[in-house]
Amino acid sequence: MAAEAAPGEPSLDIERHLKYWKMCLRSPLPHAYLSNEGNRMALAYFIINSISILTPSPPPLTSETDSAVANKPPTPPLIGPEERRALRQWVLSHQHAAGGFCGTSSLVFPLRDYEEWDFEAGAPTQEHSGLANIAATLFALQLLALLADDDTADSAFSGVDRVRTLRWLRRLQRGDGSFGEVLRLLPGGGWFIGGGYDMRYCYIATAVRWMLRGDMKAGEPGWVDDFDTAGLARYILTSQTYDGGFAGSSQDEPHAGYAYCAIGALSLLDRPLENSEASHPSTILHSGIRDMPGLIHWLASRQFVYLEPDSSADDDDEDDDDPVNFLLPKTLSDLSLDENLHYAGFNGRCNKVADTCYCWWVGGALANLGREELLPREPSRRFLLEKMQHRIGGFGKYPGSPPDLYHACFGLAILAVMGEPGLSPFDSSLAVPVETVRRIERARRGLLRTASEEGKAGTLGGELVSMGLTLSDKTPEWLVGVTGVVPP
Amino acid sequence: MPPKGKAAPKPKGSEANKPSSTSTSAPPPPASTTSTPSSVPSTSPSTVSERSQQRFDESRPNEAAREKSGLSSLAPAEQVAWISSQFARSSAARARLGTKAQRELWRHVNEASLPVRAPKTKPSPGSWGKDRAGQHIGGYTPARFDDRAAKRITLTALEIASRAFKDTRERARKGLLDPLSKEPVVLAENEIDQEKNRRRQMAALRRELYGQTMGQFEQDPEWDDVVPIPQDEPEMALAAIAYPASYAEAISYLRAVMQKKEYSPRCLRLTEHIISMNPAHYTVWLYRASNIFAMKLLIPDEIEWLNEVALEHLKNYQIWHHRHLLVDNYYPSIADDADKVSQFAASERAFLAAILAHDTKNYHVWSYRSYLVGKLGTWGADELAAVEAMITDDVRNNSAWSHRFFLVFSNPAHSTPGTAATDPDPAVPRDIVDRELQYAMVKTYLAPQNQSPWNYLKGVLAKGGRRLASVEAFAAEFVAGLGEGEEVEQVRSTHALDLLAEIYAEKREKEKADLALRRLAEKWDRIRVGYWEWRRKCLDVEG
Repeated sequence: MAAEAAPGEPSLDIERHLKYWKMCLRSPLPHAYLSNEGNRMALAYFIINSISILTPSPPPLTSETDSAVANKPPTPPLIGPEERRALRQWVLSHQHAAGGFCGTSSLVFPLRDYEEWDFEAGAPTQEHSGLANIAATLFALQLLALLADDDTADSAFSGVDRVRTLRWLRRLQRGDGSFGEVLRLLPGGGWFIGGGYDMRYCYIATAVRWMLRGDMKAGEPGWVDDFDTAGLARYILTSQTYDGGFAGSSQDEPHAGYAYCAIGALSLLDRPLENSEASHPSTILHSGIRDMPGLIHWLASRQFVYLEPDSSADDDDEDDDDPVNFLLPKTLSDLSLDENLHYAGFNGRCNKVADTCYCWWVGGALANLGREELLPREPSRRFLLEKMQHRIGGFGKYPGSPPDLYHACFGLAILAVMGEPGLSPFDSSLAVPVETVRRIERARRGLLRTASEEGKAGTLGGELVSMGLTLSDKTPEWLVGVTGVVPP
Repeated sequence: MPPKGKAAPKPKGSEANKPSSTSTSAPPPPASTTSTPSSVPSTSPSTVSERSQQRFDESRPNEAAREKSGLSSLAPAEQVAWISSQFARSSAARARLGTKAQRELWRHVNEASLPVRAPKTKPSPGSWGKDRAGQHIGGYTPARFDDRAAKRITLTALEIASRAFKDTRERARKGLLDPLSKEPVVLAENEIDQEKNRRRQMAALRRELYGQTMGQFEQDPEWDDVVPIPQDEPEMALAAIAYPASYAEAISYLRAVMQKKEYSPRCLRLTEHIISMNPAHYTVWLYRASNIFAMKLLIPDEIEWLNEVALEHLKNYQIWHHRHLLVDNYYPSIADDADKVSQFAASERAFLAAILAHDTKNYHVWSYRSYLVGKLGTWGADELAAVEAMITDDVRNNSAWSHRFFLVFSNPAHSTPGTAATDPDPAVPRDIVDRELQYAMVKTYLAPQNQSPWNYLKGVLAKGGRRLASVEAFAAEFVAGLGEGEEVEQVRSTHALDLLAEIYAEKREKEKADLALRRLAEKWDRIRVGYWEWRRKCLDVEG
């Protein structure tokens, strides 16, 4: 899997990154990850997504490659079919009885607690102890598709309670069109949509909707009322800031992560359900944004020349806490020197330091807008591979930082978006490899087919049965022909 | 009937020679490796196993020698002694002897002081079991073994006392009468303290003896009525985190009280405990808020507590969301009292200043700050002065610039509510637009390559509905001799050149605009060459 780089350019050591991710897959994460305990599903997504980026499916055999490939013994997949099944089961075990997925096992309660729930009503009268989270729901769906293979893609979402999850999603939308992350009954305060005014939840809502909803007509079996898409688009579009960027709302400072989410959300709202690309010509996005030149200007301004810190020079007013990686040139004409064009860093806000993840948030946002050409490809790549890559594999936050799951995953993601040889082609809007997007489409079709068949058969609790079948991975003989449930 | 089997066979040897299971001060019995076992003292055993072996051997005189070389190798007297002790130990064997033979047997037993009772099984190294470290307890020195035994007794005694405590507490709770005094059972405060102390000792002993950890909550009598819900971790799982047992225990109690929907002071303390370990757990914060609302606790107290937590965890997001929720619930109670509102606004501003002093660009803090301005309506001079001080302190603080823009142009006193940030607003007075343009320009001179005031300048122009060309002269101050050769061309700010390109485009001076963009791409801002080339293409489209 040797990736070929241009002469004189650094190359991506895929084996070394795989080694890092294998370690994250096989052994418990160190104590430093405790603050992510509530978001284990996110960590799981970083691990499986990165392994998928690093192990693209082999290209279809052609007569030329046939003989060469045939002579090589097939390498066993890093995660075998049995293990994939078990991990999918683990993901499904986080599903909440009232829809959505919980972010961590510690928020999943023993099953007996579900007895108090009215499964048919859909609208709980009493609150459940567990807590489903909007981000965990997207990560869980991405994981189910990432863990599927070509043989199982049609049933990748089987066991997902599509109807209840979409209904729960609607309840997470606030009156102003924005989304929160959790739903909680507060004593004396009624149902409360938790989470800040955060563009991430808006993006996630559109991604979950795209993955699960489908194009059913009202009244058809499996139909679920949509959330207020116009309200959401309005909320996002008014969150553009005076300098062209996007924030949680227009009264805040723009931020690259929020800009990515705003663009991604608008684009997903009208993304075609089959065979579409991340940069599809979205009407909502391209006609909706008030100041598109301003947005592109703001995104382009996130790139800057990364200058090597000079240990002999004293910094005057730099923050002591911040790593010194936003050095300003002494004179502007210094910037025209060739050696200073070596590295391009990205920050998330104006006058902030470079960070690996902003290569992704900025680069991904530009890719979703269909403007990859605005990315300084070679200097960004050099910056990632020479400054942010760690010798044990993975990427760190700042130059010299130890790797962590989040930065290691998104470092790979942006390299894949920029077309790095040896990596899976990547969908910058759904944040999974393109082949996984095709599986999501198949999984959605499978889910809709089941919904429509169940609608015809009128199976009571069919979703529960199919979840049980997925968990046990086999259909008892007595069940076949009784319920008409399709074995997973 | 044989003679009284129990009384008769008592050995007549000294007490010291008698195998003892309790006495440790007495010298150990001699080992019987020689033919005169009962008279030769052997070395004291160094381990418990060795002591068992010695006792075993001693109870079986001549056995070791017989095992080694056979019965015939023993002297005749020893043979008699060995055979006699075999018969003496087994009543079944004795039953087969005639009366005379039995009498003969007891005579031998008495004369030789042969042991009648003896351990049945031969000691083996593993027969004492292993300790928590996997070490054979048989390998302990007798002193260490006795120490362990004493600790086990202490632990058992503590457990009994602890059960008695729970029993008393239960009876006190039910209001039962003491059967002896006929008085109601009362649990004294010091009994709870004693119990806490007891559990601490129990925890230490259990850890030492068995390697069992007794968590903080298991040790606390206050939590006895809660059955924790530990987490099931399947064999195949992703992203398990190696967290300490103390965290797992606290979460298992949290799960239990959340399921019960208990809202109480102890639950509030539990959330504080978990937050101190993991302040990023959103569920814990929500549950904490539920406790505060359910118990109708004073929100200013909670905010005061939160101030300390926020200073400890500067990068935390949940803290600010929690604060937001608290203020949403607190504000209606003071909304009608202007003094209270301004008092609260002042104390919040003081705290925000303190926290921003640690981290001047903290996103969550600034975001909360803008929310607070809208909520409390603090659009006035104090807030503007506070943010101006921060820009004076660091002209590159873009968070402060953003806040200023919000403060000036969303102020309901002179703006149209609901206007997008990028749209012009005729309700904004001219003098305010002029003032802000002036402010941005003055700050630009301090650091021409700082993009913040340039962005601000353009934002103000758009708000005021003014043409970019109205600042052409200002932007041109930073650019000299454009396109007149390497020696002549001087650019002090790429942002000025960028703005000039836009101004030329606005004025339909396409060639000048193209030159500015080309020079940015070729020389002054080469890292963004892709962007400048795209802008040049846009000029063609615009015609």
